[in-house]
Order: sequence, then C-alpha cells, then structure tokens
Amino acid sequence: MADETIQVEPLMREIEDRLRDDVRRRLLAQGGAPEYQDPDVFRAVDRLLRRAADRPASHALLPEFLGPESGWRLQTHLRFSSHRTVAGPLVLFIKRRVLLPLTRWLYEYSADNFRRQERVNRMLVACIEELAIENARLRRDLGRLDERVNMTR
Amino acid sequence: MKLACVVQRYGAEVTGGSERHCRVISEHLATHHDVTVLTSCAQDYVTWRNAYPSGETTVGPVKVVRFPVARQRHLGRLAEISDVVFTTRSSPEEQERWFVENGPEVPGLIEHLGRHGADYDRILFWTYRYYQTFFGLPLVADRAILVPTAEEDPLIWVDIVDRLFSLPVGYLFLTPEEADLVRGRATRPLPPSCVIGCGVDPPPAVGPGVDLAAIGVSPPFILYLGRIEPNKGCDTLFEYFDKYLESGGRPVQLVMAGFPNMPIPPHPAIRCLGVVDEPLRVALLANACLLVVPSPFESLSMVLLEAWNQRLPALVNGRCAVLHGQIVRANGGLSYRHAIDFAASLGYLLNHPEVARQLGRQGQVYVEQEYRWPRVMEKVESFLEQSLGRPLSVRPGA
Repeated sequence: MADETIQVEPLMREIEDRLRDDVRRRLLAQGGAPEYQDPDVFRAVDRLLRRAADRPASHALLPEFLGPESGWRLQTHLRFSSHRTVAGPLVLFIKRRVLLPLTRWLYEYSADNFRRQERVNRMLVACIEELAIENARLRRDLGRLDERVNMTR
Repeated sequence: MKLACVVQRYGAEVTGGSERHCRVISEHLATHHDVTVLTSCAQDYVTWRNAYPSGETTVGPVKVVRFPVARQRHLGRLAEISDVVFTTRSSPEEQERWFVENGPEVPGLIEHLGRHGADYDRILFWTYRYYQTFFGLPLVADRAILVPTAEEDPLIWVDIVDRLFSLPVGYLFLTPEEADLVRGRATRPLPPSCVIGCGVDPPPAVGPGVDLAAIGVSPPFILYLGRIEPNKGCDTLFEYFDKYLESGGRPVQLVMAGFPNMPIPPHPAIRCLGVVDEPLRVALLANACLLVVPSPFESLSMVLLEAWNQRLPALVNGRCAVLHGQIVRANGGLSYRHAIDFAASLGYLLNHPEVARQLGRQGQVYVEQEYRWPRVMEKVESFLEQSLGRPLSVRPGA
C-alpha cells in the first residue's frame, strides 16, 4: 500500500457506486419507486438528477422561451421609481431613507425565501431540460434504428 | 526590467488569496528586477477604508506606492447593483457601475497609470474583478499582463468582462482550469499565457509547545482553514457536516480556523478558533485527519497546497472545477458534490486511515514536483521574457 500510487478518480467512482447502492436500498425499504429494484434504472435516474443539479443556471435553454425576464424571474432586488416628475425625487428619498429602513427586515426575510425558491426553480428547469435532452437522444437513436431496419428489409 | 504590480490591497497584514499571491510573486521578482507595487491605502476588503498612509513606502524588498480610496464601499448599493447585474440582462452602464461600487475606487492610481504607465516595461494586474484593473488596464493594455484569478462565479459571465479579457498582451493563470474558464469565456482568442500556480516553501517543523487540548481541539478532527463565510462554502459545510453526524458517521470534530464573517452554529462537534497564529496553524495541519475545502469558487487553493505540504489529505468541493482538478492531478484526496457524497467520502477517509495517509503523501510529492519556488519563478521569468520578445534585463546590482 505505502508505495503504490492510489488513483483518486477510480476510488471516487467506487465510493459513489457504493453510496448509490446504499441509497437505492434505503429508498426501496422506505417504499420508493419499485422500478428501483433494477440497479441500472436507479443509476440512470441518479445520473440524470445529478447532471441537472450540477448544471450552471446560466447555461439553461428553457428560460430563452419563457419570454421577457421581467415576466417570470423572481426579483430579489428593489428598484425604486416614481412617475411624478416634480415630487418624484422627494418621494424616492422618503422611500429609500424612511420606508426602506423600516421594512428592511421584511425585505430581507422575503428575499432569502425568494432566493431559495429560485434555487428550486432552477433545479426543476434543469431537470426538465435533462429529460428533454434524454428524450431527444432516444428519438434520434430510434430514428436511426428505423432507418437501418428499413434498409435491411 | 522595470515592472509594476497593480493590486487592490498590499501589505504583510493583508489576508486574501490574490493579494498574497501578488505579494509573494512581487517579492520574488524583486530579487532580479525593479518592482513597484501600485495599490490602494485600504487594508479591509469589506469597506476599503483607508488604513495605510498614501505615498511611497517599502514593504520587504518591494517599493510600494499607495493611493487613497475615494469612498468606502457601500454594501447596500453593491448588493442592489449585484442583483441587477447578476440576475437580469443588464446594460453596459449598469455593469460598469458594478465595478465602481465594488471598488476600491482609486482615481489616483488610474491617473498614475495614465501618466507614467509607459515608464514600465510590463504591468501585472492582479484580479480582474476590482476597480483598479477594470479602469486601469485599458490605459496600459500594450504592456499589461493580467493575473485574473478568475473563478466560476457569476461575474465571469457578465458581458462587459469580455471586453476586458481582450485587452492584455499576456495572461498568467494559476491553474489549467482557470485558463480554460477564461479561454471559454472570451469571444476572441487569448494572447499568450502561462499557468504558473504559486510557490510553496518546504514545510516548517512542528514546534513542541502547542497544546491543542487546552484550546478545545481533540483528535480526531477535520480542519477548515481560511475566512469563515458563505462565499467560501462554510454555510454548506456546516449543513453537510451536521448531516454526516446525523447519518451515524464516525464521530469527529470540525475545527474552523479563520476570521468568522458569519454566525457559527452552536454545535458540540464544531470548534471555531478564530484567526490562529503560525505555530498553531502548523500544529493543526500536523494533527488533523484531513483538510476540508468547501469553497465553490477558487482559482487556486493555496491552503490545499499548504495541507499537502504537510502530508495532509483533503476533502474538497468537486463542484469547483479548480479544486477537483487539483485533487485529481495530485491524487491527494477526494472531492464531493452533494451532501450524501460529502458524508460518504468523509466516512471513507476516516474509516481508512492508511489510504488517507497515502493520499496525503501523494499530495506532498505533487507539491514537491510542481510548486516549489524555483520552478514557479522560472515559468514567470520565462513568460515575461517571451512577452517582451527579448531576454530580460536584470536590475543593476541585483
């Protein structure tokens, strides 16, 4: 052991495999999906969810189709504005210097919860995208298989 | 060769990865070249409050010129503009305002670069994320070398950063992952670059006088070294560690050594020591089971090299490509991505001490091969020489 180099990548894979099997058994014991009886099915689901969890939010495709960001993105920052041209600066001053300090605790409490919700939303968006990718890949493979079958007929 | 090193803060008292990197590289360069550090008067990275006197001074072998910070950082305004810039499609003006709010706003330093930039053969800028680089580098782009210390945080994807990345004549990176990140981010091919890392001195001897039990540290313990704050992944570490213990993992203490910038959960197995002196730091590294590095953003983990220098294996956040890359290249520990991986990997290392020891030894071999000062400085000198297209002129008398 002392002089042999331990390669950490295979070691980490070994630990991950063992962990995955433990989790699968635990879920089954707790009444999890019966499909998890098959370790290969569980591995595929585990990989998909891990990929979704690890995907950087900035690389997601789905938000491109959600329309203008202002219509769907949770806003965790405050932007003060006033439509009044003359009294506007005074209204803004009061909002910033009087109302904001008084309500900051409520703002921070909500902002924290909004951030958590946004994290869950991102994860769910990533899951949908991963499933869409998986589906597209399977459709492509199926199409190729069809072509081959037709050619051999 | 006449060199300038531009950095947001500078001084022996200044902690922070990029500042320390700038200091040690400048000191080593100063043994052969005429080096001037251009920096702010700030010591504290939160407020950028002026702490050092402005003007010229000497720190070790290096000439330092400090410029006053025009205004302290307003955290509320920075948080507001950060939300705008990082969570929405922001305008170039808003993005530029982010750099102003982030500071340290040092107009004197920018003016100095504008007037005297041409006096230097090369100007090295540390960290792309601060005012002095964003506004200073474009003024001397024809002689600027950027040491971006880039991390996979949201700033790297902000549009205006692309313009900055296209300007310097060369790059010094800390790891191959950082080079890939910047290369992948830039829309144009990068100029010549070199991965230099950072030098590490041979490990100091462990003194006999440190009584860990007297300060509430009892083996077995795992060690976290550095600033204790959410940005460094400490909130996640506390959560994952708690889950590990809840899942029935082998009992172990988590020792946190560093300045606390967040509340520490009151947990009997968590011991926070605050900032520790060098002998205690060495004793902790010598007695810990492993070092844990939970940071999601790194360009090079110096503390990881320090741990390997003392044969300590590590458990790192694998979501950070740099940490994962360092672990794999060194074969010096394990990485985790989620809470269950953390528990499994920590349990494995604690239950297989002979494997853990071997990983620590492998880490030390890696540091010996890649991170001793002569090797690091050879890379820096040779890159600067190439960037000028001629052999470097050595300072008279050096």
